[in-house]
Amino acid sequence: MRIIVDGSPVDYAAGDSVLLAMLRAGMQPTSGGCLCVGGDCPHCVATVDGVAYVRTCQTLARPGQIVESFPDDGYPPLPGAAPEPAVAARNIHCDVVVIGQGAAGRAAAAAARQAGKQVITLDAGAGAEVIGIYAGPLVVARTAAGMLHAHPQGEIIVATGAAEIQPVAPGNDLAGILTARAAEAVAASGINLGHIVAIGTAPAGLKVEQAEGDLVRFEGTQRVAGVVMRDRKGGERRYACDTAVVGLGLQPRDALLRMGQGLAVRAVGDAARASDIPACPLAGTVCPCSGVTVADLESVWQRGFHELELVKRSTLAGTGTCQGMACMPHVRSFLQTRGGTLQPQFTARPVTRQLTMGEASAGSHHQAVPRTALDGEHRRLGARMDRIGGWWRPWNYGNPLQEYWAVREAVSIGDVSTLGKMQVSGPDALELLERLYPTRVKSIAPGAMRYVLMLNDRGYIFDDGLIGCDGANRYSLTFTSGGASFAEMWVRDWAESWKLDVRILNQTMALGAINVTGPLATELLQRAGLASAPKYMQQAKALVAGVQCRVQRLSFTGELSYELHHPAENSVSLWRQLLELGKDLGIRPHGLQTLLQLRLEKGHIIVGQDTDFDSTARRVDMEWAVKVEKPDFVGRQAVLRTNKVALDRQLAGFEMEGAAPVEGASIHFGSEYAGYVTSSFTSPVLGRAVMLGWLRLFAGKLPDAVMIDGRRAQRVPVPFYDKDGSRARV
Amino acid sequence: MFERVHTMRIVATPAALDAARWPAGHVALRTAADEVLITPPLASPQVADEHAIVMADGAFFGGWIAPALALAVLERECEWEVPHERPAFAQGMVAGLPVKLWLESERVLVLVAAPFAHDLAERFVP
Repeated sequence: MRIIVDGSPVDYAAGDSVLLAMLRAGMQPTSGGCLCVGGDCPHCVATVDGVAYVRTCQTLARPGQIVESFPDDGYPPLPGAAPEPAVAARNIHCDVVVIGQGAAGRAAAAAARQAGKQVITLDAGAGAEVIGIYAGPLVVARTAAGMLHAHPQGEIIVATGAAEIQPVAPGNDLAGILTARAAEAVAASGINLGHIVAIGTAPAGLKVEQAEGDLVRFEGTQRVAGVVMRDRKGGERRYACDTAVVGLGLQPRDALLRMGQGLAVRAVGDAARASDIPACPLAGTVCPCSGVTVADLESVWQRGFHELELVKRSTLAGTGTCQGMACMPHVRSFLQTRGGTLQPQFTARPVTRQLTMGEASAGSHHQAVPRTALDGEHRRLGARMDRIGGWWRPWNYGNPLQEYWAVREAVSIGDVSTLGKMQVSGPDALELLERLYPTRVKSIAPGAMRYVLMLNDRGYIFDDGLIGCDGANRYSLTFTSGGASFAEMWVRDWAESWKLDVRILNQTMALGAINVTGPLATELLQRAGLASAPKYMQQAKALVAGVQCRVQRLSFTGELSYELHHPAENSVSLWRQLLELGKDLGIRPHGLQTLLQLRLEKGHIIVGQDTDFDSTARRVDMEWAVKVEKPDFVGRQAVLRTNKVALDRQLAGFEMEGAAPVEGASIHFGSEYAGYVTSSFTSPVLGRAVMLGWLRLFAGKLPDAVMIDGRRAQRVPVPFYDKDGSRARV
Repeated sequence: MFERVHTMRIVATPAALDAARWPAGHVALRTAADEVLITPPLASPQVADEHAIVMADGAFFGGWIAPALALAVLERECEWEVPHERPAFAQGMVAGLPVKLWLESERVLVLVAAPFAHDLAERFVP
């Protein structure tokens, strides 16, 4: 049986780990360093079957396994472009998870079972290597079948035992250095270690020469050939050897315990013990993963980094492959010697072991982006789809200019199903809406609608939409596509806080909505069977092309427009019939790109694009939408307060000749920065660039002429197009 | 495996929904204290709340599947513990989607809002 190491076959014995197989052949995965054979140190990692940073001491050798040593610079090559195979995930629920199945772990599991708990045991030696504990709580383990996600209702017991302390001295990066346990394991596998010199506690059952005194350095070229010790009188003595074995004490394997702070996690057995603290290191590499030396520790100490967490961050000691198992006892010893206090270990964070991207993503999915009922229609029509406002939406259908002119001169339909839609009813429905909105809801007559701003309790605009009155104590609300989820929480939270008697139904996903817009919109709807179209800002229920619709007469594009809200399962039928009925009217669907341009010509704001987190109605020049004389509404007190403060900036309209500057372009007044453009577009119908943008006041006034993108622009009143609104109200 | 599921959503006071009785042959999922989702839809739902909102809603996708298949997928895709009793209603994220489950001994109803139908078909696979 052979594995392939750096291209050459290497024999191994049954039961060998990859590391033992290599040691048997006189090889070592890395250039050197003290091997622990317990999965704690970073000195046996290699790339195994394409996966880097695999601990070869924990990996059973198998025929044909490909093992690659890291190159001289210490870093394995990045994975290729080929996608990694998906890694399966399995969720399992229980009362208690016990990590580690040594004596302490077995006892803990038995006790929990005896107490009637459902217990899951996870042990690396049994093929379930825990790599992290997360909030939830969630314990993630790697198994041969994929990732195991264990969800304990009760506690997590860490019984991972203790690790041996690594030596710090010049030459500790040579090959041929082992911890005492490692030496026992390697010798037990039949590998001849030659003449062994033991430093500290000697390995059990091995013939060794005991070195006396304090460790000064390891000597040798590539492989250790001798150990130099210093006696109490300061004299040095060299011990020639084939293998150096160190027994410097134990430290708990408590990374998982430190990772689970704040969760129901406890340690038992050696994992709960205190760490032995070695003598303060004097020279050599402390952290082999990050190449941190004693001199580096001294340097950061001199610069004022005295806390363990800061030393870790400033040197990167403890952040590498072994996550501090090699260095931390020595770093703590160093800090104790310098500062006089033994500092606690650092807070650990997932993960404790390397893992592949496939393992990290096992069981997770991309965020699902909802699709309207017309998604297939858009794609069939060749739309360029994009994720906007939390939905897949058609950006354009290939020719946005044609879509634009269809709206301005003929008729067009657009999918606005993504708008937030809600019904509110109940004895307190009016009271709720009066308190929520800064408009006089009571004055909205049945069948009527009104545009509304939504303010948070600081008086800032966070959304906008419509209120429609469906009858006594019944209202329909709309919100922006991106704001719908938050708006629902907002409405529900306030209704509950005020203990109002209302019923609230979110209809966003249940209802489709098609915008029919253009001078020929009414004619199209008449062809579709709409006998009596509602007047501007009115709504009515009616059959359109055989589909029951709530027909809302409004206009975002600036043209005669209707929104047809209807059961989403009828969207495709309605859409297709409208396209068919409007063929000779020049109908085209329009995408979001065109819609945003059309609304800009009308000066309609997009909340989130034209507004900022601190935009008030006054700043967006829409004070008409906020009735401060109402007794109360969310944000009223803030509006009253901020209205007393001098206006510092305002959303304004601008025009300039030539192509529109990019959105975000800065605005200057003279040599001073004056604001930035939020929306811009070269208007086909106006033949010039139109923009909205934030503009500072200078000496209490908005400047009339500014520079945008290095060109002269004029501040103008909005709307830019159809200033008297006659096209929409026709 | 999945197709459009016609439902009826009723929003009413919790007391009215607690008191309501639904005819045999309909599955009533209490999705919230003040909301019930019924499939197939009722011809004339009776709820003692004059302000109730009743809406026929065909914007769900899903279907009845065998328990073994459902539980196999849930073990892989569901991070919360599925109820063990039967019948049982549960809702939450499954495979990253907001899913409603009605678990009977012999079958399991899986529902998502229609805008996630595409993702359900991709993700809820054996």
